[in-house]
Amino acid sequence: MCKEGNTVKTADRKALKVFQELLENPVNRLVEQAAGDGRIPLGYSCSFVPEPLLMADRLFPVRLHATGIAGTEIADNYLSSLVCSYTRSILEFAFDDRYDLLQGWVFVPSCAHMQRLQDNLEYLKKPGFVHTIDVPRKVSEATLDWMEEELHMLSDRLASHFQVDMGPDSLDKAIASWNEYAETVKAVGELRKRPDPPLTGTEFHAMLMASLASPKDLIMPEIRAFRDEVEQQGDITGHRARLMVVGGHLHDPDFIRVIESQGGLVVADRFCTGSIPGLMPVETNGRGPVRALAEHAFRKTLCPRMMEDFDRRLQSVIDIVREYNVDGVVIEVIKFCDLWGVDSMPLVTALRDKGIPVLKLEREYRLGGEGQLRTRVQAFLESMGR
Amino acid sequence: MGFRIDTVLSHTPIGARSLVNRVSAAAGYAFRGLRELILDLSSFSAADFLVYAKYSLLVWGCIARVVIRRGPIGFIHELIRYPWMLHLLRATALMRRFARGRSGLYLESMCMVVHSVAELLSELLEDLFYHRDRLIITEEMVPPDIARAMGLKVWMLEAMGILLPMMTPEFCLKYIDEAENAGVNPDACSLPKATMGMVMKGHMPDGLALVSSNMPCDAGMASYSYIQRAYKLPTYRLDVPNNFTNDRAERLFSEDLKGMIAFLEEHTPGRMDWNELKRICEGRNRMLDLELELWDMIRLRPAPLAAEAVILSHMWHFNLFAGHPKSVRHYERLVEMARKNLEEGRPATEKERFRTVLWNPPFPHFVDIFNKAERLFGVTLINDSMTYNHHTPIDTSSPETMLKGLSMVIMQGPMVRHTRGPADNYLDDIFRMVRQFDLDMVWVANHVGCKSGQAMNGILRELCRERKIPLLVLDYDLLDPRIASRDSMMRQLEFFMENVMKVDRLEARRTG
Repeated sequence: MCKEGNTVKTADRKALKVFQELLENPVNRLVEQAAGDGRIPLGYSCSFVPEPLLMADRLFPVRLHATGIAGTEIADNYLSSLVCSYTRSILEFAFDDRYDLLQGWVFVPSCAHMQRLQDNLEYLKKPGFVHTIDVPRKVSEATLDWMEEELHMLSDRLASHFQVDMGPDSLDKAIASWNEYAETVKAVGELRKRPDPPLTGTEFHAMLMASLASPKDLIMPEIRAFRDEVEQQGDITGHRARLMVVGGHLHDPDFIRVIESQGGLVVADRFCTGSIPGLMPVETNGRGPVRALAEHAFRKTLCPRMMEDFDRRLQSVIDIVREYNVDGVVIEVIKFCDLWGVDSMPLVTALRDKGIPVLKLEREYRLGGEGQLRTRVQAFLESMGR
Repeated sequence: MGFRIDTVLSHTPIGARSLVNRVSAAAGYAFRGLRELILDLSSFSAADFLVYAKYSLLVWGCIARVVIRRGPIGFIHELIRYPWMLHLLRATALMRRFARGRSGLYLESMCMVVHSVAELLSELLEDLFYHRDRLIITEEMVPPDIARAMGLKVWMLEAMGILLPMMTPEFCLKYIDEAENAGVNPDACSLPKATMGMVMKGHMPDGLALVSSNMPCDAGMASYSYIQRAYKLPTYRLDVPNNFTNDRAERLFSEDLKGMIAFLEEHTPGRMDWNELKRICEGRNRMLDLELELWDMIRLRPAPLAAEAVILSHMWHFNLFAGHPKSVRHYERLVEMARKNLEEGRPATEKERFRTVLWNPPFPHFVDIFNKAERLFGVTLINDSMTYNHHTPIDTSSPETMLKGLSMVIMQGPMVRHTRGPADNYLDDIFRMVRQFDLDMVWVANHVGCKSGQAMNGILRELCRERKIPLLVLDYDLLDPRIASRDSMMRQLEFFMENVMKVDRLEARRTG
């Protein structure tokens, strides 16, 4: 399998088809099934939202995505066409009632776009439950305390609005369950450290995105099945280079498929919806589950909105390059994203100074301009002598 | 004409062609400038001419004082280091653009604002020349009050990017291009791009430490990832919470300010002098009192003072020199002028037909658009979002209360208040201003780089329709006239006035 000319081909796996099918709709059949069982789906849009908090009792989190969006004509009237296409796509789908099964929305003012998405959503759709977690932009003892209070406020609102148990025992159980999920997915991801990994970046991302958009307990059997399937099949050989993708929101696995179609095997995903370092387990430290979640949110999220973290962001990329034996880094930035757009400038320079080849790609949320993307990736691989 | 310049150029060697180009451009510029000067001055009455001449001399006096004090050789050395200083020579041209078509105390208030900018700018330049051992670099939204109370000198990196395009509209272009060529996304706000470009070109001063913040926008905040690496200075970052209208946020941010003081004491020779901070805060409070009195007067129709006298005064004096004795004096004079006009029943402009507010950042490269709107259509700019703030006076009874008060000043300040928290923070202020100042329309400065503002236009449009408030959304770029030229901005304004407001022009449009 897997090598055909210079392209990396995704294998014909049964479990993969399940993940792809789960990503076809923003609210998939597993969400419908759980909601049908009386459970409560909550949409969220940012990695700073602690998933385990939204997994307590009957709650479950659904990462907001708009895979398959065709256009954002109505959302453009409100958000303008100069705002990132992820937020416009979410608003467009909200207009189309594609998220109607969600019973609540949890936002973080991670950037101006996300903040205004929430404002417009509240104005236009008036959802029954919307909450903003005011996440600070630097980490200190004082801001950790603040974050803990913020999570307590969310927890209290969830408990009173949905009549769910948000007590310490319930949260500890949710954390344990999330940790198990994270460990499982992370273990699959780490298979990519091998010289010839048994899975492609496209496959891994499809699995990860599907898991973010589904109730964890219902998708875990599929993840285990996928892991078993991957372990039974052969390795991917003959790729031209090992690549890492870095950036903000990336939902559509087809973006990675296009990169891999040119022979660049994506072995590490250091973006908002990636596994590194997003899947590091929550460490319960004896100071209560909410405090643990507050600390975890800062530790596992590497976003340019954090003012003092540039060196940490840079170092993490360098470390991953070594750990996963990466040949080149692809930085993907959604058009109009100021955080990644500006922050990536010194990041690109610093990585190149370290001798790491970098390709910066500006893209839209939905996959488009495949031909141009292929050409850029091909030229990048050739510039690396691959 | 016996010959055409392009015919001459086509027969000239390349080096000489460049020289001919430059000379012909300079000659054309000088000719147009002279023609404008004669047109402007001939329209003044004798009394207005004397006022204009007095303030022109005062502005030139400020420039001359800086040059003489530094000495010609020293000043040339500084010019090589900071080439943007040359643009300051156009300060009187800016004053003339403001004064155009205006008379009496209104004209004097315009001249006085430009003079006050020149006067305090000369102090800033002297800080650059003589006090580098106490100079810190700050981001635009970090108020300099605390650092000044510590005996430090403050250089706000974004200040020249806002000020100098008022004198030379194309001033920022080479800096914007520098940043974009280095890899910054072209769709980011042009102010952080220009600021990064100035740092890249080495046109900004060195300092002892850097203080930035998460204000006012994502691009502005993110630009300091680069700026910190370029400067390699110890850096402190202030973090204003998104939801700032509660005691919890006040406490957190006050602690943040204490952290900044400790940081500055560690990395600079500055030491906190609470008595000095008290003096500055009392000065700021006095300015706030005066500004509120001014607002009370300009609420009346027709307004006794308006436009740049109100908005440029706030932008310069509150943001850079709050509490400074010269700033306090400036506001006292403004209030005296407004009071006098009011007592004598004399409006700022006889032409006032419509009253408007400008929402979002102003138009530095087309700062006289308000003057044009006033003359062409009788639209008077009463106030703007950068001026409109909500904080109460600072309680100066103790260090704690002062820090708490300053926290509120920062968090409730323009742009900070309007770019965070729920949409109501943005929208309520607009409609409150419409009521408070008896406005006839709202202008939104639709800066292409300001995503936060862009994403509010849909809601604002619908709410204005509901309330029957005419809304002009004027597309432009903050510092880059290539995105929307002066002409295209004027066309938008004319289209709105003629088709939405359905009014005739008061006078013919003059180009330039």
